[in-house]
Amino acid sequence: MPGKWDWLKDELRASGLAGATPLVIRFISGRLRGADDLAKCALCPNMCRHACPVGIVDGRETTSPAGKTRAALLLRQGRLQPTLENVSPLYTCLSCNACSVWCPFGFSVADLVRPVKEKAAGGGSIFKEFREVFENLEKHGYVYGEPKREDSGLHGDLLYLRGCTLREKQPGVAEKAEHVLEELGYRPFTIDEACCGIPAYNLGNTRLFKRVAEKQAEKINSSGAGIIVASCPSCVYAYRVLYPKHGVKINAEVNHVAEFLEGRLKGFKGEGRVVIHNPCKLAFALGKPKALYNTLSSVEGLTVREPRRSGGETFCCGYGGSAVPRLNPQLARRIALERGVELTEEAETIVTACPTCKLAFESNGFKVLDVMELLHSFTSG
Amino acid sequence: MPSAVAWPENTFEVQEIVKTAYGNSIPVYAFGGGSGVLGGTVPEKGGIVVDLKRMRSIRLNEEDMVVEAEAGVNGYYLEKYLNSKGYTLGHIPQSIYVSTLGGWIATKATGQFSTKYGGIEDMVLGLEAVLPWGSAVTLPPHPRTSTGPDLRRLFIGSEGVLGIVTRAWLKTCILPEERVLLSYVSETFEEALESVRRILKRGAKPAVVRVYDEVETKRHFYMFEEAYGRIMTVIVVEGDSGIAGAERRIVEEEFRGRMLGEEPVKHWLETRFMVKEASEFAPLGVVFDTIEVSVGWSRAMSLYRSLVEAVRAVKGTLFASAHASHFYPQGVCFYFTFAGVPRGNPEKYYNDVWEAAMKTTFENGGSISHHHGVGRQRRSWLKNELGPAFNLLKKVKTALDDKGVMNPGNMGL
Repeated sequence: MPGKWDWLKDELRASGLAGATPLVIRFISGRLRGADDLAKCALCPNMCRHACPVGIVDGRETTSPAGKTRAALLLRQGRLQPTLENVSPLYTCLSCNACSVWCPFGFSVADLVRPVKEKAAGGGSIFKEFREVFENLEKHGYVYGEPKREDSGLHGDLLYLRGCTLREKQPGVAEKAEHVLEELGYRPFTIDEACCGIPAYNLGNTRLFKRVAEKQAEKINSSGAGIIVASCPSCVYAYRVLYPKHGVKINAEVNHVAEFLEGRLKGFKGEGRVVIHNPCKLAFALGKPKALYNTLSSVEGLTVREPRRSGGETFCCGYGGSAVPRLNPQLARRIALERGVELTEEAETIVTACPTCKLAFESNGFKVLDVMELLHSFTSG
Repeated sequence: MPSAVAWPENTFEVQEIVKTAYGNSIPVYAFGGGSGVLGGTVPEKGGIVVDLKRMRSIRLNEEDMVVEAEAGVNGYYLEKYLNSKGYTLGHIPQSIYVSTLGGWIATKATGQFSTKYGGIEDMVLGLEAVLPWGSAVTLPPHPRTSTGPDLRRLFIGSEGVLGIVTRAWLKTCILPEERVLLSYVSETFEEALESVRRILKRGAKPAVVRVYDEVETKRHFYMFEEAYGRIMTVIVVEGDSGIAGAERRIVEEEFRGRMLGEEPVKHWLETRFMVKEASEFAPLGVVFDTIEVSVGWSRAMSLYRSLVEAVRAVKGTLFASAHASHFYPQGVCFYFTFAGVPRGNPEKYYNDVWEAAMKTTFENGGSISHHHGVGRQRRSWLKNELGPAFNLLKKVKTALDDKGVMNPGNMGL
């Protein structure tokens, strides 16, 4: 079979210009990678704009996906000074990675701009809105300040991790999740868990992320757990993808609840009609766009609806990525409202599998349940 | 650079901006997805850019099969909305992920499925526009109307020089029940074009027809060895199964070439939005662009051959190639691609290629733009294209925009 670039080699020969294009020759023969990824993205006409919740709802060029990478490129080249105003577009990103699905190169804008954010943050360009998070993580390893001490069970066959938001804001969900896991025949236990560190990672402080990650990994590994089930898809992403990238090891097999339950709900009976909001981290970063749908579809008697933008085209709730709800809460709210309205066209009750998504919809007046809350309502408990 | 950017959220806010601009003789540039390739929204004289992307409400009237949408709605968002209700607009330009409804109307755009569904001008039933002095005018949607000159057409393709389109009512179609994928290999470009002409003469309207010349067949379909160095044609027939079945039969009866099956069409469907050239080749010092023109059947091959030859003759050109991308019983749109590595000034090389292409188009009786519009890149040739009618356009512009505030300089106006 002819090669991808054979046509161009033929044309170069015919034009007699092969000698005038050493870079092209090296590129098509695989000896040159071409422009670096950030520049490639910055040169793109925004072919992922439609998938970016910020791009769609904010509607500004500066915060469009390629707008962010253009700003990052100019900062990297020193053509823009790393002032807070100039770095703010880089933080107007939900880190949902929806862009990567549509990118011909598979780029994630959040990943492309991260080194520029880190450099700017290292030079002191840190928003005051982030300082509290950093201080809490430094001091307590927990986003919300000093956590309440808890007795660790350390007994059971499955470690259930809640994540900071669920532990702090939605403790009832955790109890229900444990009950559901028990109903399914497991003996879940919890630990006095700390933060996975992902807020620091999202906010451009990778050094802090690594320190928090090491402590958290130590706690998790010392529990002796072989299987972990977590309610927060961002935590799972951190444990499964980011930790290994940064040399931190979790010994256990890590699962998100939606993927863990897939195929385990045979005989589970329910009722009513719900619409699912697929968390972006689960769909894109963990590559499980159908996990929540498959899980709930297996509940007998439950009608599960999907919104217009579903599965691999899900739309972030607006509160992801740690930065937007802190720097631009109005934008976060507008995105949540847009998504909430779209979801409730299908059913009154939204079901999701992410504490942040639940928080986003709940705080904007929508009726929303975590998947474990819904399942718990179908159990005898 | 503009002095200001505004993000209105409704027509009233657009009116307020335009009134202020008019009152102070400040230029105004309507802006959508920014995917135009001819600089039609470049604020070359400073002023206010009116970014319409926050105006994106959609309302579907299923009984009338009409969708009402604001100008800033993203193309893919609109199509996806319609699909979820069982409809399609049938307007699928390569820019659909980026572009907006307002941009489609402003540039008189067309999409990949145009042979069946038509261009945007065939879809717009009504529209609302803000005029240069800030008043809004609504031309309501009707299935057809015989009430004087069609004022909607005044705004379709007006590229922001006569006003700002803020809302439109568009025809919708039922999502196709059946989709048939067909592909053929031909020995010559002419032979393949002739086959398509016969199909259209019989009244069949395949949604997609694309015929690639030898270079582009090698470039886009290199994995299909049987086609390498020959001519690839991909065809999509879709619609009600009865109609699609009849159209398929006509295609199969009239196309003289070797059938290659569904795979090349699937490959095209999967890769048609992968725009990588600017990212990959611009940093290597390659000047890369596309030029689309239209021409009647009688001079189609002559225009194709002479234009490729004319571009290749510009010093520094690496390649020039084309595919026929849109078809009519009367003629065809050729979509040329060129790349070059100029020794001297890249801008000069770029303009020389454009000059050669436009000149050749005129010599062969073609139109210098099929669907990208005029913008700033093509403005110097518009006068030649329109002849004395250019003065008519200028008079219309002056009558509507006496202060010249709407996108000044665009289209040479």
